[in-house]
Amino acid sequence: MSVVVTGTGAICGAGASPSAIVDAALAARSAIAEVASFDATGWPRRHAAEVTDYNAAKLVGDRKLLKLIRRSDVFGIYAADAAIAQAGLEAHRQALDEAAQVAFAEATGCYVGSGGGAFNVNYDYFPLMAESKGDMGAFGRELGSSVNPMWLLRTLPNNVLCHVGIRHGLKGPNGCITNHTTSGLLAVIEGAEAIREGEAERIVSAGHDAPIEPQTMLYYHRCGLMAESALRPFDVARDGSLLGEGAAALVLESGASAAARGATVLAEYLGGGDASEGGGLLHLREDGDGAARAIDAALADAGVAPADVGVIVAHANGTPLSDRSEAAALRRVFGAAMPPVTGFKWATGHPLAASGILDAALGIEAARRRVAPGIATLATLDPACTGVAVSRDARATRGDVVLVVCRGFGGTNAAVVLRARPA
Amino acid sequence: MTRAKRRVAITGLGVVTPAGNDVDAMWARLLAGRGCGAPITNFDASGFSTRIAAEVRDADALPITGDRKLLKFGNRSHRFALAAAEQAMADAGIAPTAADRHRWGCVVGTGMMTVSFDELASVQAHAAPDGELDATRILDEATANDPMAFCRSQSTAGVSLLMKRFGIAGYASSVHTACASGGQAIGTAMRVIRRGAADRVLAGGFDSMVSPVGLAGFCLLSAVSADNETPERASRPFDATRNGFLLGEGAGFVVLEAWEAAVQRGARIYAELAGDGNSLSSYRITDSHPSGDGPIQAMQRALRDAGALPADVDYLNAHGTSTPMNDRSEAAAAAVVFGDGVGRVAVSSTKSVMGHLIAAAGAVEAVVCALAIGRSTLPPNANLVDVDPDCAHLDIVRGAPRERHVRVALSNSLGFGGSNSCLALRHPDETRALLEAGR
Repeated sequence: MSVVVTGTGAICGAGASPSAIVDAALAARSAIAEVASFDATGWPRRHAAEVTDYNAAKLVGDRKLLKLIRRSDVFGIYAADAAIAQAGLEAHRQALDEAAQVAFAEATGCYVGSGGGAFNVNYDYFPLMAESKGDMGAFGRELGSSVNPMWLLRTLPNNVLCHVGIRHGLKGPNGCITNHTTSGLLAVIEGAEAIREGEAERIVSAGHDAPIEPQTMLYYHRCGLMAESALRPFDVARDGSLLGEGAAALVLESGASAAARGATVLAEYLGGGDASEGGGLLHLREDGDGAARAIDAALADAGVAPADVGVIVAHANGTPLSDRSEAAALRRVFGAAMPPVTGFKWATGHPLAASGILDAALGIEAARRRVAPGIATLATLDPACTGVAVSRDARATRGDVVLVVCRGFGGTNAAVVLRARPA
Repeated sequence: MTRAKRRVAITGLGVVTPAGNDVDAMWARLLAGRGCGAPITNFDASGFSTRIAAEVRDADALPITGDRKLLKFGNRSHRFALAAAEQAMADAGIAPTAADRHRWGCVVGTGMMTVSFDELASVQAHAAPDGELDATRILDEATANDPMAFCRSQSTAGVSLLMKRFGIAGYASSVHTACASGGQAIGTAMRVIRRGAADRVLAGGFDSMVSPVGLAGFCLLSAVSADNETPERASRPFDATRNGFLLGEGAGFVVLEAWEAAVQRGARIYAELAGDGNSLSSYRITDSHPSGDGPIQAMQRALRDAGALPADVDYLNAHGTSTPMNDRSEAAAAAVVFGDGVGRVAVSSTKSVMGHLIAAAGAVEAVVCALAIGRSTLPPNANLVDVDPDCAHLDIVRGAPRERHVRVALSNSLGFGGSNSCLALRHPDETRALLEAGR
């Protein structure tokens, strides 16, 4: 059963749609700057790619909903709404009679990749803790008068799944994946599999995260993962990654469903793969073994040979080891026949759980324009990354097949293969 | 058109629960039907409206082999996960080798709370003495500078520990759909094997919300029973007087294998994991639809996925949280799914004994279903005195365990946020008969 993409949506510091973000990348604009959401004066690392004109009520169009969700959820719901609107799903559903609407809802599901590890949600307890001064009896007694009764619901990692479902009446297969960086891309893979298995006709896949907060920034620095001020993938002078935030979404649909309702097909989903290294939370192998196996699995699932890949959207997160080992993986799979390689984190920052699906949405947009945007922060290719076909400037893609690579904590790796339909 | 489905076998079981820290201890307690609710000892809960929970006993003494240094990277729930997974792997009698570790996956349902209260208190005392965070003060706060605290807090901390401990290097994922997490993790794992992305998967769930912030979240929602004087009776699913769930904690794990691989190595097969039904209620965040809409589709899809009929089902391990709304909605769903045959399906909620293990619940209850099949015995629904008239159409196992050959068992897990999971397990003899018949 063929699976196609009929809608995409995205938001991050670099723009509020896939096309705006690709435009920014092509114009060599990065959203990375000193953080504005808290006072980082005197911090050892101060840069991130924030969504600077954040207006939650405008993004989700429902002020009441804001009591039940947090910043990351706002991004996720916005991106899913945008993808659903582009796919024309809502208009299609509303034109159906009641019985057909029920059937439509049952056959439409939702998979979401959600960031975990937010620290600031727990800070809602700080006033109560300050007041009770370690007296747990007082903590318990004063709880109800200090903390929002909806606190737990605002904190649920599966909020985007819940609210996108309610907004659009989705009742099919679903899941919420909280697997650090690979979450969003796994939401694409599992969503596509639900369609392949005949469990659903349509799946809204989304990924979202908002990790730019003081405690997280400090931890990433203490773990040696943060750059001084710029994210320079594959560059000899790269010194780490920088956090981003945002979301992306894809509407996946069986080819039959898309054809039946005359939807515009943006891309075909050809296959996906996932592999891990199992060396521990912060461990990565030098040889990129997990990434290479994820790519191999995705290509095999897609029935695509390496030579047929037209452009690679690399994880390219800018940490010395991740880029070096990713380069090794790409050389192992593609050898000398490597298509143009790009990456977007130098412009979008690293939006963790959203990153893989954001790269998929951007990869589709770029490949539809037949362009591999350059990596504007790249000055001198690291000799250890030799053979990776990156460039400072934009180039033509070699073909319409896009490979997206995504890597996360725990040595996890995911990859998907898509075929873009030229615009 | 669907692809031919590879069958999946359950060959290893492991649990850490308030009812016992291994399969046999838990099973004995479930059959005895004695509730595990008791005053909370994990922390001073004296000021909370609910001061009871079902806690895991002797957590520090859990046998965890391998590199104990791993524990530094984990919190209480990760300790449960390591211990339960250890049992499941030993029970299955197989482990990844250098040659096949890429064909092993790991899929877990993780709890949503990963920051310990002590660590939160440390950050608060230093960086928010007046209750408001001063970001500058975080810079020299000990917890906020401790990479180990960061590792423990990550949503992938559990799956990372398990993969490292057992040498797993294939498909890896953590899922969280609140109370449906454990069931969805096992369902995902089954699908990964079916589509050939792995041959064996260590799958399960783990959680511990018996902590100040965890309990607080549920107290604020008035979701937990406040029967502080009678904790062992606080969880009474389907009883007319039920008034909220009993918070539990723990972990459950299974080893899943492609059926033919399990047969080939002569493994003991507890059950076939035959179906996964998964639906979204899209109704309200915490409420279930009174008609059972949502759970109905999950159960129907599980049966269809398993190639089974409602009449094949002998046991339903209900989600049965003991909240007024859940049990009524779930009972309504069972009436729709089983129709006139609803009285022939034996039902019990083992949360009546061990409480609600949240993200671990679906995994532990899948283990319970595998045991019910393997031992031809159904655990009773404890604490049931006056059946809610809205649930009276169910054949609830009361008072004592019931001996019964179970052809197909269903395990429901229904989560906040509207995700519904139903797993269908089939007796291995039934599967063998189907295979012999060429199906």
